[in-house]
Amino acid sequence: MNKMFKKSALTLASLGLAASVLAGCNGNSEEGNADEFKGKITIWDGPRWPDKDDNKYHWLDAKIKEYEEANEGIEVELVQVPWAELGDKLGVAIAGKSWPDIAPVDISGSAVSIDHIEQGVVEPIDGFLDKDEKADFYENALDAYTYDDKLYGIPNSITLHSMLLNLDLFEEAGVTPPENGEWTYDEFLDAAKKLTFDRDGDGKMDVYGFSTYVMPGYYESWPFFYKNGGSPLNEDMTEFTFDSPETVQAIQDLADLKLTEKVAPETHGGNDVGGTFQAWANEEQRTVAMQPWATWAIGAAQGKYPTNFMVANYPTGESDTPKTIGGVGGWVMFHQEDANKKAAVADFMKFISTAEEQNVMAQNYGIFPARISAAEMDPFKDNPEMTRAMEMSDQVVMLPRHPEWKKIDEAIQTQLQLVFNGEKTAEEAMADAKKAVDELLK
Amino acid sequence: MNQMPMGPVPEKAIENLKVKKKPNNKSSFLQMKKNYSAYLFLLPKLILFTLFVAIPVIWAFVLSFQSYKVFGSEFAGLDNYIQVFESEAFRIALKNTLLFTIVTVPFGVVSALVISTLIFALGKFSQSLFRSAFYLPTVTSMVIIAMVWRWMYNYEFGLFNYILGWFGIEQINWLGQSNSALWALIIMQCLIPFGVGIIMYLASMGSISNSLYEAARMDGASSFNQWLHITIPLLKPTTLYLVLLSTIGSFQVFTQIIMMTGGGPGSATETLVHLIYKTGFRDFEFGLAAAQSVVLFVIILIFSVIQFRVLRHDE
Repeated sequence: MNKMFKKSALTLASLGLAASVLAGCNGNSEEGNADEFKGKITIWDGPRWPDKDDNKYHWLDAKIKEYEEANEGIEVELVQVPWAELGDKLGVAIAGKSWPDIAPVDISGSAVSIDHIEQGVVEPIDGFLDKDEKADFYENALDAYTYDDKLYGIPNSITLHSMLLNLDLFEEAGVTPPENGEWTYDEFLDAAKKLTFDRDGDGKMDVYGFSTYVMPGYYESWPFFYKNGGSPLNEDMTEFTFDSPETVQAIQDLADLKLTEKVAPETHGGNDVGGTFQAWANEEQRTVAMQPWATWAIGAAQGKYPTNFMVANYPTGESDTPKTIGGVGGWVMFHQEDANKKAAVADFMKFISTAEEQNVMAQNYGIFPARISAAEMDPFKDNPEMTRAMEMSDQVVMLPRHPEWKKIDEAIQTQLQLVFNGEKTAEEAMADAKKAVDELLK
Repeated sequence: MNQMPMGPVPEKAIENLKVKKKPNNKSSFLQMKKNYSAYLFLLPKLILFTLFVAIPVIWAFVLSFQSYKVFGSEFAGLDNYIQVFESEAFRIALKNTLLFTIVTVPFGVVSALVISTLIFALGKFSQSLFRSAFYLPTVTSMVIIAMVWRWMYNYEFGLFNYILGWFGIEQINWLGQSNSALWALIIMQCLIPFGVGIIMYLASMGSISNSLYEAARMDGASSFNQWLHITIPLLKPTTLYLVLLSTIGSFQVFTQIIMMTGGGPGSATETLVHLIYKTGFRDFEFGLAAAQSVVLFVIILIFSVIQFRVLRHDE
């Protein structure tokens, strides 16, 4: 009896071991089989670059057609959503549990938050990317989609902010642009002063050296606040640190460009994104010589708003090393009930995230590839401005990944607005922000 | 011509005014059966009302007692309501919304009354022309109106600063300063004609009996006195309706805020509905947003009851 029991136990243990080895060999056994899925996959996307018929969805239309032809029985439906509406629409869709299968969002909180991940709204996709595939992505790109050691999306682009300088206005004012785009804050301020001038002698300034805007969710101005080495939260995200003397000084410096130095227009630090860009890029305006923008603006200045410009670093302060804020875009898979469909959705996500596709997107859409092999294809070999911006990748600082970040961001940015319109000093504003943020960090 | 009844009111008329005994269930069912065609006509609207108004309102009330989660919300008791009343953001939004309402509602209703009076005195063609002109903003999207006004308030190129420049007055950063941003939105709201109000006042003025004005003229009343003592009192039901309508609308101000200021600078133009929107669709705290909505509903209800009691025409 005892011998028989031992034999049975050994057999069971052997079977169990064999089963686990087999499961380990084939990651898809738990994740479903894409080939067995027949049905519809829904993907949301925003407008990208236009074709000759001004269709800004042609790239994804073509990829869908290609995928459907190769996978009989699978239909992919593209829902066209303007970028400005994507966050709100996705929020409503999530609330109503009617989310798409795939959407182009990050997980930092604009449309999908850490809270959603914790609730299981977003699917982890580790099972669909092996170690070698993951190794082809930049580490910071994977980090941006990783939470609690799980991967929640396939990164497809990296963006960052850089300074764009209108070289025609530099020439008109007789100012030499910074060599290699590298400069200190004093050199930047000196240039801004010279670039603020009255062209027609009517006593009113026609051109200002610099301007930017401040509003929740936008970070063009923030690298200036990092110039002395500050950051909004401490490393373990338990303490508000934007009230440190070096950050307060950096904030005040940027506001003083308007308030005391008079090298920025009255609208500096306001909330008019479009108006700010038009002041730099629109041929009929060009009233500001320098502005910081995300990389999409480089494409705009080379296309719709042709401008003679150069890309420069944010100026350095006490920290000596330039900093910029970066972001990562990618495809996210929403909660799936059917394991086979989940596998098919992951398969389609990988299909549109290959190195070739990221190279095409980089060349046409003004973003940096998230795959190393795509970057090695040198998508910007004929585009020195984008090449220069890509060199800034090592200056990138990511925003804190805190579940309450959107509220923290609003608490800081609404106070910053009051510094820029002169109602509070940077010290007062950050002291008030600290009260609100400390409540959120509790 | 309509005549006011003279002499004592007949007994029969008084009898008719008395509250009739409530019919029992059986007779009301028979009455319903008799009028079934009317209920059939009402049915589509009732179904839509139930689906898109009644159920969401009830659901919002239920949600306000929950901590919302996509997969299985949890009962939170009064936590959301406590959070609403402890929130400084809610207090600021309420203060801004109250100021917006207190200024724009009286201005809108009074201006509609004055404009209607001026138009009513015109000939038929001119009346139609002005009626259409003043009604036009009502059928125009607030998004478009907000975009136009944003341009008018532009610091560099805006119409208002351009006009100020004629008089040598320094430009104003209308939407960029805390002390001017909310007032800029209030001015905008005041200067958008209250089209519905004008149309309703014109219709009500047309139904006032001419004999009243004739009698007043015979007694030597001036035009202003006729307006003050005949027109305005007889327009009271319309005024009550318009005050209620515009108060509810003002408490729900949203499009201008999101299009023009985003609630800033700081919290200078934060309003209740914008705060509810942010809580729900930015922070995904639907339970808290529902509690804020219920509180807003109660505030509007209280204001409506007060206005109804003060302005109702039978007193």
